[in-house]
Amino acid sequence: MIMSSSRALLLIGKLHHARKEWEALSSLATLKEYPSGDRPDFLRNCASDAYADVTALYRSNDSTSITGPFDAELVAALPRNVKHICHNGAGYDNIDVEACTKRGIAVSSTPIAVDDSTADTAMFLILAALRRITTPFLAVRDGRWRGGEKFTLGHDPKGKVLGVLGLGGIGRAVAARAKPFGMSVQYHNRNRLSPELEDGAKYVGFEELLRTSDVLSLNLALNASTRHIISKREFEMMKEGVVIVNTARGPIIDEAALVEALDSGKVFSAGLDVFEEEPKIHPGLLKNEKAVLLPHVGTSTWETQKAMEVLVLDNLKSATEGKGLITPVAEQKTKR
Amino acid sequence: MTKPKVLLLGEIEYAHDAWNALSDIATLITPQSTTRPAFLQECTSGQLDGVHTIFRTFDSGSLTGPWDAELIAALPSSLRFCCHNGAGYDAIDVAACSARTPPLLVSNCPKAVDDATADAALFLLLGALRGFNSSMLALREGKWRGEPAPPLGHDPRGKVLGILGMGGIGRNLKRKCDALGMRTIYHNRKPLGAEEAAGAEYVEFDELLARADVVSLNLPLNPHTRHIISHAQLAKMKPGVVIVNTARGGVLDEEALVQALDSGHVRSCGLDVYDDEPNVHSGLIRNENVMLLPHMGTYTLETMAAMEERVVVNVREAVTKGRLVDLVVEQRGLV
Repeated sequence: MIMSSSRALLLIGKLHHARKEWEALSSLATLKEYPSGDRPDFLRNCASDAYADVTALYRSNDSTSITGPFDAELVAALPRNVKHICHNGAGYDNIDVEACTKRGIAVSSTPIAVDDSTADTAMFLILAALRRITTPFLAVRDGRWRGGEKFTLGHDPKGKVLGVLGLGGIGRAVAARAKPFGMSVQYHNRNRLSPELEDGAKYVGFEELLRTSDVLSLNLALNASTRHIISKREFEMMKEGVVIVNTARGPIIDEAALVEALDSGKVFSAGLDVFEEEPKIHPGLLKNEKAVLLPHVGTSTWETQKAMEVLVLDNLKSATEGKGLITPVAEQKTKR
Repeated sequence: MTKPKVLLLGEIEYAHDAWNALSDIATLITPQSTTRPAFLQECTSGQLDGVHTIFRTFDSGSLTGPWDAELIAALPSSLRFCCHNGAGYDAIDVAACSARTPPLLVSNCPKAVDDATADAALFLLLGALRGFNSSMLALREGKWRGEPAPPLGHDPRGKVLGILGMGGIGRNLKRKCDALGMRTIYHNRKPLGAEEAAGAEYVEFDELLARADVVSLNLPLNPHTRHIISHAQLAKMKPGVVIVNTARGGVLDEEALVQALDSGHVRSCGLDVYDDEPNVHSGLIRNENVMLLPHMGTYTLETMAAMEERVVVNVREAVTKGRLVDLVVEQRGLV
C-alpha cells in the first residue's frame, strides 16, 4: 500500500481554468504532469519508475490527442498503483471502461456540468435547422442578402414533436428549453424514467420515436451498441421532412446515409456539432446548405470549461481522500 | 350596390384562398404601375378612385417607396383603410394618414409575428453570446474551429437579459430565455402588470443599459425611437455587453455600434435588421464575432401564412364593418 505522502496524481494534458484548484491538491499528494508528448513516450513513462507512485489520473477528451485512446492496451500498461481515472468529458467513448473495471480502476466523467451548454447548443441547432439558416447566414456576409433562389422559408418549432433519443441530463435540459417554444416532447431510453425526471415527456419505443418525431435530437452516449444507431434503415422510418440534430457523438449517425437523406429531401435539414471523423467532415454535408454545422463546440464556454475542470479535480480530491468518486461512469455505478 | 374596391399592393403568397374569398364582398384590383412616379400618377389621374381599402405588403415598398406625406396626399379620397402586412409599420407616416379628412386608418400585424421573431432573437442571442459565428465560418473554410482557435463563448445562465420594448415579442422572448436560466429586466413606456411581466423586473432606461449583460431591442421604430441606441447609450452599457436587434435597424446607430464592437466595449451582437437594408455596414461584415441574418425574423411557412391571413381578416372587417381589428396604437384616439 502506498503511504499518502508518497502518493502522486498525474495530470495528462493541460488545465486552462482551474490551475489553482489543481495546485491546492499538493497538500494531499505529489503533483505530476504530462502536458504534451505522444503515446509511445507516455507508455514508456508508465513502464518506468517515473509514475510508480501515481494513484489517480486526470485525463480529458483533448488529451486523447497526446496519449491516444485509453483502450485495453493502454489501460493494461498504466502504472501498478493507479486506482482512479478522472476524466474531463461527458462522453468517455475513448476509455475502455470494461478493461478498467477488470483492473480495479474506477472511472469518473463530467456529467451535469455539461448539460446547460450542450443543451443550449442543441437548441441553437434546432432553431437553425428549422430555418435552414446556412443559406441566408452565408449570403448576408457575401453581399447576396438572403441568397436569392436558394433561400427557402423555414418552419416554426411551435406545435412540432421533439423526439429525444437519450433523455439523460443533456436530453432533459434540451426538453426543458424546447417546451416554451411550444414543442411537445417524446423520448426513448433503454429504460423508462420516473415521472419526475420525465417532466411530462412521453415515453415511446425506438421505432415510434423515429416514425412520429418532427425534430429528432440525439443525446445518447456512444458505445458499441449505439454506433450507427441512426443509419439508412432508420432514415427510411422517419417522417418526410424530419429535422435531425446531433450534439452527442458523430458515429451515432451513419454520416453517408445522412447525406443521402438530405439530398433526397427526406431530411428537411440537419444541425450537427459532431461528426464521425472529426475534424474531417463528409463533403456532402459541406456542399448541402440544408446542413447547419458547428465544429464540436458544445461546451466551449468559459463557465462550463471551468466547471468541468473543477468537477474532475473534485473527483480526484474525493478519491484521494478515500471518499470514492463523485460522478462515476454509469457502467461502474454500484447497483443498489 | 357595387362592391367596394380593395387594392392589393404587393403579392399574396400563401393566403390565396382567404384573399380570393374576399371577392364575395369586394372587387379585388392591382395597380398597373411598377414604379413610384407611375403609382403617384395612377393615383392622381383618378384611375384608383373608389378604392376603399388597401392590402399592402412590406415588399410593396420597393414599388411605391415609403408611405410618406407625398404619397398619402396622392392616395384617392375614397380610401379609408390601409391593412399593412408586418408588425413594424415605420414605412407608413401614420400622422399623415390621421391628418387626412376623413382619416386613413391603418392596421398592422402584431401577435402572429411574436413566436418567429422571438425565436430569431434567441438564435441570434445564443449565436452572439456563444461566439458561434467564427466557428461556423472557419468550419466551412476547412479550418475546423479556426486558426487560432476562437475565444470561448459564454453561457446564458445567470446573465441579465435587458429587453427594450416589452410588447408581444419581448414577452415571448423572455419566456424562452427563462428556460436558458437568464434573468430578465425590461424597459417600456409604462410598466406592465404582474401577470404580463411574469417576473421580469421593470427598470428605467439608464438602469437597463447599466445592468444588462445582453440587450435585446424589441421596440417599434418611430420618430421617438430612431437611434435610441447610439454612442451615449452604448457607453453606458457594461463592457462586454451583447446586443441583439430584431426590431428595426433604425433604432440602433449602426456606425456607433461598429465603433463599439471594434473597441471591444460591445463583445458581440446578433442582428436581423439594418439601417439601410439590404446594405450591411462593412464594419459588421468584417467582424467575425457578430451573428448576422438578412431580415428574416418571420420567414417561416407557418408565420408568413398566418400573417397574410390576419391581414385579410382586417381587410374583411374594414369592408364589412368599417373598422380594423388591429388598428395601430397611434390611431386609437380617432375611433
